[in-house]
Parts: sequence; C-alpha cells; structure tokens
Amino acid sequence: MSDHHDGIEEHDNHLPNWWLVTLFGSIVFSFAYWTYYETLGVGAAQAQELAGEEAALRALREKSAPPISDESLLALSKDQKVVASGETIFKTNCVACHGMRAEGSVGPNLTDAYWLHGGKPMQIHGVITKGVTEKGMLAWGNVLGDAKVRDVTAFVLSLKGTNVQGKPPQGEKDP
Amino acid sequence: MKQIEITYDDRISRQFIAASIIFGLVGMLVGVLAAAQLSFFQANLGTSFLSFGRIRPLHTNAVIFAFVGNMIFAGIYYSTQRLLKARMASDLLSQFHFWGWQAIILAAAITLPLGITQGKEYAELEWPIDLAIAIVWVAFAVNFFWTLARRREKQLYVAIWFYIATILTVALLHIVNNLSLPTSMTHSFPVFAGVQGALVQWWYGHNAVAFFLTTPVLGIMYYFLPKAAERPVYSYRLSLVHFWSLIFIYIWAGPHHLLYTALPDWAQSLGMLFSLMLWAPSWGGMLNGLLTLKGSWGKLRTDPVLKFFAAGVTFYGMATFEGPLLSIKSVNALAHYTDWIIGHVHAGALGWNGFMAAAMFYWMVPKLYGTKLYSRALADMHFWLGTFGIILYVVAMWVSGVTQGLMLKAVTASGALQYPSFLETLEAVKPFYMMRLIGGSFYVIGFVLMIYNLWKTVKSGAPVEARLTVTEPEAVAHVPAGRLVFSKPIAIIFVMLGLLLGFATRNHGHWVVYLVALAITCVVAYAWSPREGDYSWHRMLEGKAFLFSAFTLLAVLIGGIVEFVPALALKQAVPTENAQRPYSALELAGRNIYVREGCYTCHSQMVRSLVGDTARYGEASKPEEFIYDMPYQWGSKRTGPDLHRLGGRYPDLWHYQHMLDPRATSPGSNMPSYAFLKDAVLDTNALATNVRTMQALGVPYPAKAVLEAEAQARTDGERIAAGLKAQGADVAANSELTALIAYLQSLSSKEKANVSSGISRAE
Repeated sequence: MSDHHDGIEEHDNHLPNWWLVTLFGSIVFSFAYWTYYETLGVGAAQAQELAGEEAALRALREKSAPPISDESLLALSKDQKVVASGETIFKTNCVACHGMRAEGSVGPNLTDAYWLHGGKPMQIHGVITKGVTEKGMLAWGNVLGDAKVRDVTAFVLSLKGTNVQGKPPQGEKDP
Repeated sequence: MKQIEITYDDRISRQFIAASIIFGLVGMLVGVLAAAQLSFFQANLGTSFLSFGRIRPLHTNAVIFAFVGNMIFAGIYYSTQRLLKARMASDLLSQFHFWGWQAIILAAAITLPLGITQGKEYAELEWPIDLAIAIVWVAFAVNFFWTLARRREKQLYVAIWFYIATILTVALLHIVNNLSLPTSMTHSFPVFAGVQGALVQWWYGHNAVAFFLTTPVLGIMYYFLPKAAERPVYSYRLSLVHFWSLIFIYIWAGPHHLLYTALPDWAQSLGMLFSLMLWAPSWGGMLNGLLTLKGSWGKLRTDPVLKFFAAGVTFYGMATFEGPLLSIKSVNALAHYTDWIIGHVHAGALGWNGFMAAAMFYWMVPKLYGTKLYSRALADMHFWLGTFGIILYVVAMWVSGVTQGLMLKAVTASGALQYPSFLETLEAVKPFYMMRLIGGSFYVIGFVLMIYNLWKTVKSGAPVEARLTVTEPEAVAHVPAGRLVFSKPIAIIFVMLGLLLGFATRNHGHWVVYLVALAITCVVAYAWSPREGDYSWHRMLEGKAFLFSAFTLLAVLIGGIVEFVPALALKQAVPTENAQRPYSALELAGRNIYVREGCYTCHSQMVRSLVGDTARYGEASKPEEFIYDMPYQWGSKRTGPDLHRLGGRYPDLWHYQHMLDPRATSPGSNMPSYAFLKDAVLDTNALATNVRTMQALGVPYPAKAVLEAEAQARTDGERIAAGLKAQGADVAANSELTALIAYLQSLSSKEKANVSSGISRAE
C-alpha cells in the first residue's frame, strides 16, 4: 500500500482509442462548423433560415386558400359539415371571450343582430383573420390557417338570429 | 526524523452530513409539492407562499446549495485533510463555514416563499444573502488554501485539483452574476440587462451545474470510490487530460441555454460547439470511475456503497451524453422550453448527485462513528426504489418533452398550426406529470429509508477521532515557478489559443498581431523550458499548489472573457430606433410583481427564431427589445405559453379574469390563481426608488420621472381601473393586480401597443 494520497494508488493506463476519437472528432467537427457558419458565412444565419421557413409556410397557406366571397361563405354556413367543424374550432379557441354559446363575455354577443365591425360574411371573416387588437380580438389567420378561419366564419354566420340571452347588443344593427 | 501525530477534524464532516440529509429531504419534499401542483393546481393550498413560482426556486436552491452543497463540504473536509496529511488550518473557519452556510439556507427558506427574489435561476437569493454567501465562501477558501499551504504531502492528488477548480470558479461566477444595485434591503436590480443579462446568467447557471454539482463530486469520486472499492484508480493520465479539458471547456458552454434566442448567432455557435466538445472530457470522468471498479464487480453485488457509486457514475455518463445532444441546435429547437430539459437535470441531480451522496454517506457514516452500517438490506431497498423512481421520472419527462415539443411546432398541410391552443398540448402531457410525481415520490421514499438506516448506524456507534502518525516530510528540491510557467506545455497552449482566437475573428488584420506575439512567446518559452528530469512537467506542477490554482483560474477565465467582451460591446451596437421604451413607473412595479411571483418559472419571454414559435407567438424577439429588462425574464421552461408578444393581445378584462381564475379564460390550465393580487395594495413608496435606481443603471428616464413616478402611476392605475369598472370588474387603482396588468399590456409594446400577429404582419 502506497503511503501517498491516503493509500490510493493510481495506474497509468492508456486513454481508450474510441475516447480519443470522440475528443478529437468533436474538436475537428467544431472547426469545420465554425468555418462553415461563422468564418466563411456559407451556412445560413438564423434570421435567413427563419425567413425561408416562413416563406414556405406562407406559400402553403396561399396555395390552400380557395377564393372566398360573401356568397361562398354564406353557402358554407348552410353546410352542416363545415358548420360542425367550425363549432369545434369555436369551442376550442373562441369561447374564452365569446362564451360557450357565443352569448358574449369579454367579447361581444355573436348571436344578436348587432355588429361592431360589420356583419357581412367577408367583414366577419376579416375580423377573425386580422383581429381588432385595440379591442382585444386576436388575429386568428396565422394561428388557425385559412381553412379553419373559413369554417369558424361559417359557424358564426350560422348563429345569426339565434339571439342567445347574454351580453347586451353592441355596435350597429346589421340590416 | 520527526514524528508527528495528526488528529483530523471529522466533526465538521459529521455536521455537514447531518445538514445535507435534513435539507435534502426538505428540498425533495418541496420538489414533490411543486410536481403535485402541475397536476393539481389546488396543491398550493390557496396561499401565495406555496405557489409554484415561489417554491420552484426554493426546490432548486435547496437541492443544489443545501443538499449537494452540504454533501460536497462533508466530502471535501474529510478527504482534503487525509490527502494533505494535515488537519484543517482553522477549526474556527470550518465552524464559521458550517453555521454561516446553514444560516444562508435558512434565510433562503424564509425569503423565497415570501417572494424575495432576483428572478434569475439558481441566483434567486437577494443581495444581502448573496453577500453572506460570498463571505462564507471566502472563509471556506481561506481555510482550504491555508491547509494547502500547510500540507505534509507535496503532490496534490486529482481530487484536490477538482476542489481547487470548484472553490475558485464558484466564487467568480457567484460574484459576477450577482452584481446588482439595491433599491431596498429586499430588492435589487441586476446591472446586466436583456441579452447581456441572459449571457451572464447562463454562464453562471450552466457552470453552477459544472462547478457546484460536477467538479466537486468528481473530486469526491476520485477519493471515495477507489477507497470503497479498494482498487487503484484506472488511469492517472486520463484524470489529467479530462480535468484540464473539462474545466477549460465547461465555462464556454453556457449559451447552449440560449439557442435560437436573441443572443447573437456566433455566441450560440460557441455554446453549441463547446458543449459537443465537452462530451469526451465528461466521459473521461465516467470511465475513470467505472474502470476503477473493474475487478471488483463481484463486490458490487453485495456492497451497497459500490452499487450506488456504479449507478451514480453511470447516470453521470448518461446525463453528460444527453447534455451535448441537447446542445445541438436542431435538437434544442425541439427540446428547449419542454420537460425534456427537466428530465435531463433530474437524471443528473437524482442519479449522479443523489446516488453519489448516498454512496459517500453509506461509506463515511460507519467510519465516522466507528461502527458498521445498520442494514445492508435497507440500503439495497433504497437503491432499487431510487433507481426505479429515477427511471419513471426521466422517461415521463422525455415522453412529455418530445410530445409537447412536436405538438407545439406541428403544422397542417394548409400551413396553419395543428394545435393552435397551447392548452391542447398541456392536456396531452398531463398524464406524464402524474407519472413524474409518482417517480419522484419513490425516490423520496428511498431517501427516507437511508435516513433511518444512517440514524440507526449513528446510534450504534460513537464519534471517532481519527489520528495519523506521520513523518515530517524532508525538504524537497525546489523547482522555481518560472521554469514551470515558461515551459513547453504552456507555450503549446498559448500557440493553440492564439490560433483559435485568430481563427475565430473574421478580421484578418488581427491574425498578424497574434502570430507575431505568439512567435515571441514560443521562443522565450522554449529558451526557459525545464530540463527533462525524473518528474514530468505536470508532476512538478502538482507540487506547487498556488501555481496550480493560478493556472486553473486562467483556464476558466479564458472562456468567460472571450464570450463577454464582444457581448458587452453589443450594447452599443444595438439599433436604437426599434428599441424598447423604458417602463412606466406602474409597469415597472408590475414587472417587479411578475418577478416576485416567479412567473418566469413557467412562462418565457422569448419568441425564438423558429417558425413554430413565430407562427404561434408573433415576430421573433430581437436583442434591442430587452435593453431595459433588469432582470431579463426569458425563462427556461414553458409550462404556459410565451408572453413576449402578449401586450395588447387581450383586453384588460381578460387579464383580470385570468388572474382571478385562470380556468375561467383558459379551461384546463394548471396555473394557480392570483386572486390575492386584487386585494394587495401596491407599495407606492417604492415607485420613485425603482425609477431612480433604473436611472442609475443607465435607463434614459427624463429627469422629472422620479418626482412624478407616484403621480404618474396613480393616473395610469386609475385609467386601467376605470376601464375595468366600465366592464363590471371592480379593482382598486392602487392594487398589485392593476400594476401587473399594466406590465403585461406593455410587453413587446414599442411606444404604442404594437401587437405582432405573426408572419402576415411582415407583409
């Protein structure tokens, strides 16, 4: 027993080869990575990469968005399948402000004939897509995507005239 | 030759063990409570003192600084004296260290539930406590280095190297990261804001893991593991290579906590690459541990000490493989802000730290009390309960993290988010929160068995005074320090560092200067280099404690300096036209409440440069948007959604309802209620002080802002309260809730409430 290190002895085995490969491999990789991204700037910077990904997403949205109009939205509001899909979306995203039965709470009652930003199908679609930030209405276009915004617009249109008891009317009466 | 008898001070180790075990249990139970709150929001028992945002810091601080802290001190005092053949230089300093440290823990246990916090992870404790930590730590350092100076064994063993690195680096990290300007005895603003704040914080935070949870425990491994196994250490040269590479590389890796954030790309790349390079040095430690056990595998079956050591070292290997993996940008994009990170740290804390502690205690306590372990069977049961608990915990967090990460970035074929509501993703991982709670509880049950077992062991023995008779060492030939400094190894290191720096800087003009300076250094160094003798360069260095310490300090300083200097210069480079505006007095007060309640423990304020983030939260966050954020609040975990683009998204009434009952606006949310803020009266006396302190820190408030702070806050508060009242919500203008709403509505707002609504906005 050695007198040193409180009796702890030390062998002096060679470093395992695979371990050395890991050590030097990661160092070599780091040099290559740094050269590619930082020294030469060949690799895309994060902002560039993000811009590319966002553009791809935008293209996807534009491609999948069928042309819409007052008439087409109104027609969709009579399509039971679309309205049912819209109702699911509404229950997940909208009830927090508009109430379980769209009777209004933070946001306005959507079942009466009064509208703050116009009651035409395209106007409602526009409010849902772009939001009304000063009133606290979120822009859902990016969150839901065009298909879901269309469905939920159809659902809201289908509520017209149901007049659920809730928040008193706000805005102008829609003719 | 003169014979001397040394009596070791083992009382200090007995004290630290007791403290570690008691506070370990408390820290773990607080962890169980916090875990329970994620499944059952009611588990805060309706009091703000026990809300998640306040006790999560209590849990992390207790486990890191109280449980592991006391454990490493116990091990360091025990092994250092024996490895240096010297009693600690001052019993008074040892006792001051012990009682001072316990007082600090007590102060933490009182202040954190009260919401007294700096709002930075693992650096939550407020400035008076930070000051106390610095003093106690310095006392410990003085005692340690004094003992080092009086040692009777010239050569420093590898455990001592790790202790030296720990003591020096922790002091450095703690002091720099806690630089702040107090506004009162219980509140301060840090001097570093936004991006700089984040960089300094994670330089600290990551290296708290490195130099508080890793290096001292490696030192402990190098002493206790070969002792318990009665085997020689596998490889001296492996310990040498992995020690220096570990401490040099570790310090750079902090920015891997900030990938895809507003931190400049180059700093992120550094963080990622150094984390990858850290893999081999970390595994060097694991190899030396496991291969030392080679040859005693038979004992492993019967000896609980070796069982815990083997498993602890294995968990270390697992966690240090996972760390580099998580640092790869594309992996991090998925895993960051999710439970995967929570799983990762618990593999380290429960597996590495917890099991190494158990191994050390089971070995040490019988020796310290001159008896045998009370029950091997109980220790075995502890081992299996603990292992099962860790696996349950870690697997739950992996599944939860990957699930939520994938859901949050999932996009449909039509280019919309597949799960637009954050709550949907929370709902999906709720079962795993239960699984984690169960896993953690198993671990705690095992820990309680250990306490019982050790208690019975202590009762069966009595404190032992360990003595050793040594021969006073003969004077050895003196190697002048200059010959070690001006030597081939140092010359080579200089060349490599210079090349690295030159390589890293794009400005090619610098190259020439570096190369000329290097050439001169090399020539000088070679001229002075020591003759080849019986001792190698490093063996000679091991005989010179203070030079060794100086080199250690240099090794850890380099990484910090290279990352900080350009990042601090960044402050001037930030474009000011889109910069954040200073917070109004009321918003600032609201922000302090946000920090006090620990909102950052569940919410980030950082929209990363990832399409999954920008589609959900809006435009990616930029460095200039945080220049007045002291402390920065980017967070590290999203149990709820990101808040950086929250301002103006919802009306005041929504916030009012959400704070009173989060589930009223967000069904299924596990956020605790903050209804108490409605009745809490805002401390209006602090308003002016806050603004004045911010001014002193360089925030460009107009001169009259201090004088008008109170009046301005009152006007703003009345406006918000009047608006809410009109909608049927009754809240006082001077309530804390009003201030918090003012702050939340100011988030990301540039002058006007500028609400980003994502990609289309750029069009």
